Amino acid sequence: MTILATEGLTKRFPRVTALDQLTVSTGTGVTGLVGANGAGKSTLIKILLGLLPPTAGRATVLGLDPATDALRIRRAVGYMPEHDCLPPDVSATEFTVHLAQLSGLPRTAARERAADTLRHVGLAEERYRPIGGYSTGMKQRVKLAQALVHDPKVIFLDEPTNGLDPQGRDEMLALIRRIGTEFGISVLVTSHLLGELERICDHVIVIDGGRLLRSSAIGEFTRAAAAVTVEVEEGWDRLAKRLEENGTTVTVDGKTLTVQVAPDAAEPTFDLLRDTVADLELNLVRLEQRHGRIEDVFN
Amino acid sequence: MIQPIGVIHDIGYRHYDGPRLGRGYATTALALNSLRGVFGLGRAARAKIMPFLIAGTMLLPAVVSIAVMALLKERPLAYPGYAVTMQAVLAIFVAAQSPYLVAPDLRFRVLPLYLSRPITSLDYVAAKLVAMIAALYLLLALPLTLMYLGELLIDLDGPPHTGDYFAALGGGLVCAVTLAVIGVAIASFTPRRGLGVAAVIAFYMFTLAASAVFFGVLLSEGHETAAEWSILINPFFLVDAVQVNLFGTEAANGQGYPPGAGPAVITAGVIALALGALVLRYRKAAAA
Repeated sequence: MTILATEGLTKRFPRVTALDQLTVSTGTGVTGLVGANGAGKSTLIKILLGLLPPTAGRATVLGLDPATDALRIRRAVGYMPEHDCLPPDVSATEFTVHLAQLSGLPRTAARERAADTLRHVGLAEERYRPIGGYSTGMKQRVKLAQALVHDPKVIFLDEPTNGLDPQGRDEMLALIRRIGTEFGISVLVTSHLLGELERICDHVIVIDGGRLLRSSAIGEFTRAAAAVTVEVEEGWDRLAKRLEENGTTVTVDGKTLTVQVAPDAAEPTFDLLRDTVADLELNLVRLEQRHGRIEDVFN
Repeated sequence: MIQPIGVIHDIGYRHYDGPRLGRGYATTALALNSLRGVFGLGRAARAKIMPFLIAGTMLLPAVVSIAVMALLKERPLAYPGYAVTMQAVLAIFVAAQSPYLVAPDLRFRVLPLYLSRPITSLDYVAAKLVAMIAALYLLLALPLTLMYLGELLIDLDGPPHTGDYFAALGGGLVCAVTLAVIGVAIASFTPRRGLGVAAVIAFYMFTLAASAVFFGVLLSEGHETAAEWSILINPFFLVDAVQVNLFGTEAANGQGYPPGAGPAVITAGVIALALGALVLRYRKAAAA
């Protein structure tokens, strides 16, 4: 089932072309939209919501055209903006109930849905306190809750991990994955980090300067961008030397080694790493699959 | 062994398949929420101080008037002049509360959350205006009605001034619409509430001073007609002029106003201008 599709979609502002002949389509599940800042991600979302008219081309969301059917689309879509969008002097509960009503839910239903949704995004007792006192992580959860509260068929999440610490980022990404799978709501999530999205997306679209660079299932990306970061307490120079002798490409950056993993030799490389570290009796601090960035894919 | 009396299930995510109401419902919900907010309901305690102080002040002359009617058996205050008499209080209310309605949504960028829902920017503007109009009308109609009930109960000489009461209610509506549109339009141009308050009060002070100066100077020079036109710079006298010409009530400026449709046309023009500014303002904000 096609959730959204664009055909030759173009948006020109007086000074800049934000979208240039963009033709993409996405199905159900979690779709990542990756691009550097200013690549046209937010502009695309605004056009899909019917808030901006395209200069040329057309788009459909759930089979409806935003240019003519914006209100019907917005009834079935949730939107979490990139920027701060919460008033400080009301509580998360009041705010979410209010926005649920504006999505057309009767008051009682709005109350129930708001309580349910805030629980799902992980806000407990603090939801009765004014939003002004929340941490960035809690605010992001409220922003997500207001996008989910009317049980949309699709949600657009614009940079949902912005400003979060690593743990908050992981929790947010896990939540987005749950929304796409368990909740059965299709997700379009933007980020400027491909590495984040590869963990949760079924499909990734990369745009740059408003143009489509690539649109494909997630597996094809991760193979291209595989690398492992190794950090040991001391003896990193010995480790690097031994690994290079065994035919891997290693770059040393301070105490951290980055080991390139060839797409067809992933397992032998991982085994080699483990065995070498054990042989040299080094204290392993970190062993992490490196999150590729857009640059890694296209260089 | 104790038998478990209940089991907690994680029922997971539940979909909503109840009714989804339309634009009219959403706009009404926004207007009601805004109206409550104007009076500080559902907000912090200090947000209630100003509106309730003003509502109390608006009621004060009505209460005093009832007391005078009861004790001295005379009518100290006419219904049609109530808005003009209380203009400073109403102006402070408009200045203090219009920015509350629109500025935080701009400053904290809540507007995109509203506009990504099934309402248009016009619905948003309409909801905010209706809230302000209703708030102002409550402030005017409540003391008038209280006074009228007092007059009916006290049973003074002669028939009750029912015509004047209804004329004041009608004029009050024109007054509420005019003030709300001007106040909200001015306030919508800055995301900062303090600046909005200052701008609205400055606008009122300017019209108050300008109309008083022109009126005084022109009258002393003997240009009565010009003086009558010039006092219409103050929106309260403009609205009073509409009320006088429409319902034949007594002029609150002690001099009289230009007769005919002139004042009504100017009022309609002012409302249209402010509405146009608001619509353009929010059309731009929606695309941003």
